[in-house]
Amino acid sequence: MKKKSLISLLLIIAMLVMSACGNGDDSSAKDGEKKESGGSEEATIEFWTMQLKPTFTDYIEGVIADFEKENPNIKVKWLDVPAADLSQKILTAVSSNSAPDVVNLNPTFASQLADLDALVNMDEAVAEEDQKKYVQGAWEANQINGTTFAIPWYLSTEVSLNNKSIYEEAGLDPEKDIPVTYEDAKKVAKTVKEETGKYGYFPSLDLSLVLQHMVKMGADLTNEDGTKAAFNSDAGLEAFEYFTELYQDDLIPREALTGDQRSTIDMYQAGQVATFMGSQFISQIKENAPDIYENTLPSTGITGESGKKTISVQNIVVPEQTESKEAAVKFALFLTNAENQLEFSKLTPILPSAVEALEDPYFTEAGEDAEPIDLVRIQSAAQLDESELLIKPMDNYDELRQAMYDAISEAMLGNMSPQEALDQAEAAWNEILSK
Amino acid sequence: MKTNKLTPYLFLLPGLIILGAFIFYPMLQAFWLSMTDYNMIADAEFVGTTNYENLFQDDLFWKTLTNTFIYLIGVVPALVIIPIFLAVLVNQKLKGIGFFRSAYYIPVVTSLVVAGIAWDWVYKENGLLNYVLDILNIISEPIHWLTSTQTAIFAVMVVTIWKGLGYYMIIYLAGLQSIPNDLYEAADIDGANWWQKVTRVTIPMLMPFVLIVTIMSSIAAMKVFEEIYIMTGGGPLHSSETLVFYIYTEAFDRLNMGYASAAGVVLFLITLVLSIINIKFMGKDNTA
Repeated sequence: MKKKSLISLLLIIAMLVMSACGNGDDSSAKDGEKKESGGSEEATIEFWTMQLKPTFTDYIEGVIADFEKENPNIKVKWLDVPAADLSQKILTAVSSNSAPDVVNLNPTFASQLADLDALVNMDEAVAEEDQKKYVQGAWEANQINGTTFAIPWYLSTEVSLNNKSIYEEAGLDPEKDIPVTYEDAKKVAKTVKEETGKYGYFPSLDLSLVLQHMVKMGADLTNEDGTKAAFNSDAGLEAFEYFTELYQDDLIPREALTGDQRSTIDMYQAGQVATFMGSQFISQIKENAPDIYENTLPSTGITGESGKKTISVQNIVVPEQTESKEAAVKFALFLTNAENQLEFSKLTPILPSAVEALEDPYFTEAGEDAEPIDLVRIQSAAQLDESELLIKPMDNYDELRQAMYDAISEAMLGNMSPQEALDQAEAAWNEILSK
Repeated sequence: MKTNKLTPYLFLLPGLIILGAFIFYPMLQAFWLSMTDYNMIADAEFVGTTNYENLFQDDLFWKTLTNTFIYLIGVVPALVIIPIFLAVLVNQKLKGIGFFRSAYYIPVVTSLVVAGIAWDWVYKENGLLNYVLDILNIISEPIHWLTSTQTAIFAVMVVTIWKGLGYYMIIYLAGLQSIPNDLYEAADIDGANWWQKVTRVTIPMLMPFVLIVTIMSSIAAMKVFEEIYIMTGGGPLHSSETLVFYIYTEAFDRLNMGYASAAGVVLFLITLVLSIINIKFMGKDNTA
């Protein structure tokens, strides 16, 4: 009995010690260096990026050095985090009250944080004249419930990559037959399959891509005030039928339903796919599969009757927890200014979100010795004006996306008719939207 | 004399503190969170048993739980039985046996990301497995191992088994080497053949290790995650999604940390019950 009570006592002591550790003053997690910033006070800000080391180490360090030179009272500590870990790390940091001051996030994840009031409102933190320096669509891509939660950094628009050799092997003319619409893509898929046994078209369906395909095919996702699903329409049905037919006729790879974008790039690099939309991978293709790269012809992104094209935005956010808000916003504006963005764009095929940088001939003129990577950049920039963020940040986005993905999967796998699957998605969306 | 009684517990204290910090405290914290609507950012509000009620009404929870049990039933027997034979094989005093021991152990130390990608190539439509089955005339058209709702979970199981064999083999190997040689000598004198020695001496003497391996592999199967994350993403249509994957999605994609904690508590209870059953049924005669 005595032994038992002694063990219990020790356990209780251990638990108390632990609880004390867990509930310690959170402010101690931050280094004590931060004081009121912006003016002449000293500040050290922590800046997190998503997988930019080692390729862009020199560039980022250069930007930081320039910034520190201009603002000797502000020091920037840079931390690069693997892309797959970033959301977990930032969540953990925010929940333990030790968030970094400036972070590179995508709009979808950032909007979830913004929805929980964890990010600084940029409408208030950034002067109006500075706001106008960014591509309008990119600025608006970072808005949820009427507030702007981020500063846009770099952009890309949808550009298709086409393997000329497969087109020729299938008896198609790569200059003329490259698909521009979903209907074209279906024809190419049929011909390539019949003639070569390979896949003509590989549409990714993961993440928000099903929703994007539907919008491009002319479906409205919700009613105007976002309270009810509106995609159970002719256009929505057409989208479900389109992908179901392609999948069941084996005209697109089975991985469309399970693979992430890695499968598309893998199969394209292996010379098994003629066309896919993934121009952001062009540098990777150049490095991994130089032969395929040489044979790659970039073209305008595939779209439906709406003619809509989407842009992807990477942005910079400032968590609300920062103790150096002014310094953090100042650095975010410096990092995303026209000069720095132009320099960054020259290192990799991305588009700057700063209007002034986009006016550089680098984005408009292809030299005679232009490589596929240059053509991707020029094509991407050329369609920027007609591109927009098709899926705006919305509440419970992940659940909505998953419900649509599940429904289209049911149709593609033949468990339901496209109409039944669409009805299921509509019911699920209405339930989620009513929360 | 009092100090003498206290001394052993003082020795235990560092271990208890570590266990408290990394096991007991997170467990209690998870249990508390399962009663809240915590989203990692806003303060948690107590919601009682709402998360559990929602959980038990969620079809996807039941589906992932079923998948987890399918995983358990498929993986555990393989990981308990096959390594015994591997251990017996590599327990021979032969030249170069060290090479075989290492070879079986390599999958254990291979990163799951690398293993996942390599197996992805094996399973592809025009991958190694379909190629081999095709030239052996076993199949007429390729099987979509990872992209069919019928086969995806089983294809991933094979990877878990492949990766675990070496680890459990080492545990059995340690067990084999702890069996006193005189038992075999006595069996020899009694005229036992190889098979009789394996079934009457080796396997009974290994039972405590079988118990350990059963518990360890059951827990590993219950919490399988990386293979699925890398190879199928839980698809197609959640057919390979297990409970831990479901917990991860709810916690980190949807920020429903309270709800995910409730699912975590359920997983903990199931694992606890399974471990107790294992110990009751397998451990009673083998308290080595």
